[in-house]
Amino acid sequence: MNERHDENLKELFERFLSAEQANEAVKDVVQGERILREYPAPEPDRELIADIQSKAAARLLSRRANVFKKVARRTVAVAAAVIILATVSVRLFEIGGDQSGGVANAEAIPRALWESDDIAADDMELAVFTAEVKQIEGEILILQLGENGRNGERVVAELEIKFAEIQSDFWKE
Amino acid sequence: MTKSNDLDQIIVGCKNGDAECFSQVVDIYASRCYGYFCRLTGNKDVSDDLLSQLFVKLAERIGSYKGGSFEGWLFRIASNIFHDYLRGKHRQKKLLDVRKRDLGSEITGLKRGESELVDRLQRAIGRLDTETRELIMLRFYSQLSFKEMAKMRSEPIGTTLSRLHRGLKKLRMLMEER
Repeated sequence: MNERHDENLKELFERFLSAEQANEAVKDVVQGERILREYPAPEPDRELIADIQSKAAARLLSRRANVFKKVARRTVAVAAAVIILATVSVRLFEIGGDQSGGVANAEAIPRALWESDDIAADDMELAVFTAEVKQIEGEILILQLGENGRNGERVVAELEIKFAEIQSDFWKE
Repeated sequence: MTKSNDLDQIIVGCKNGDAECFSQVVDIYASRCYGYFCRLTGNKDVSDDLLSQLFVKLAERIGSYKGGSFEGWLFRIASNIFHDYLRGKHRQKKLLDVRKRDLGSEITGLKRGESELVDRLQRAIGRLDTETRELIMLRFYSQLSFKEMAKMRSEPIGTTLSRLHRGLKKLRMLMEER
C-alpha cells in the first residue's frame, strides 16, 4: 500500500544534489530518524483504544442505518413513479382501445435521474411531469364523460402526441 | 506490518460497516497515530482526545476512501485534526492573554500538567517550528514515501526532501546540545 519500502533515498537526493551531498543528506536523515526511534512516544492506553472502538462501532452502525434509509427512500420514489406510469398507461390503453397506432407505453424513469444529486433540477422536472400527467388525466376524464362531443378521436390523437413529447423530452435524457 | 491484501480486505469490511474490521484498523494504526499526536502536541490528554476524534471521523468517512495509500488518507485526516486543534489553541491563548491583561499579574502562566511529555526529544522538538515538526512526525509515523508526502502536501518532492533533511539535521544538533 505504501511506496516507502521501494524508495531509494540516495537516488532521490541525487536528483537535486551532487553524489557527495546526497550521501551526507541520506546520513542526516537516517541519523535523525534513529533519534526518533531511540525515544519512542507513549503508547495509547488499552482503555482509550476500547473506548474508541466502541464509539467507532456506534458511528458505523448509524452510517449503515443512513445508507439503508437512503436506499429505501429511493426505492419508494421509484415504485411510486412506476405506479403512476402504469395507471396512466392503463387508462390511455383503455381509451385508445383498438384504434390504429395505440398509445405508446411509458418507459421507467432513467436511473440517472434517481442517482442524480441535483435535487432542484430533478424536482423541477418531476413537477413539470406531474403537471402534464394531471392535464392528461383531466382530458381522459373529459373523454370518459363524453363531454367532447364528436371530437373524441382528435383528443386521443393529441394525447398520443403529448405523450410522445413527454417520452422524448423527459424520459430520454 | 500488515500485508497489503489483508489491509484491503479489512478496509472493505469497514466500508461495509463491519465493526470488527474497524477495530482491527484501530489496532493497526492507533499506536502510530498516537505517537504522531503526542510528539506534535507534547500532551497525552490532548493526544487521547485527538486520537478519539481521528477514528470517529474515520468511521464516518470510510465510505469516501477511494483507494490509494490508506496511510496517506488516514494521516491527511490526522493532520487536519491537528490543525483544527492548533487553531483552537490559538484562540484560547488569545482569550487567556486578554484575561491576563484584565487581571494584572494574577495569572502567571499555566503550570505544566502531569500529562505533558517532558523527555529530551520532546524538548528538542519543541524548539523546531510547527511546520518542520509536523513534517518530521508525518514522515516518521505515517511511514509515507517522500513522493506520497509531497503529493499530500501539494508541493514539489524537492521541497519536501530539503525541508525534512534540514529539519532532521537541526533536531540532531539540538539533541547533541548539552
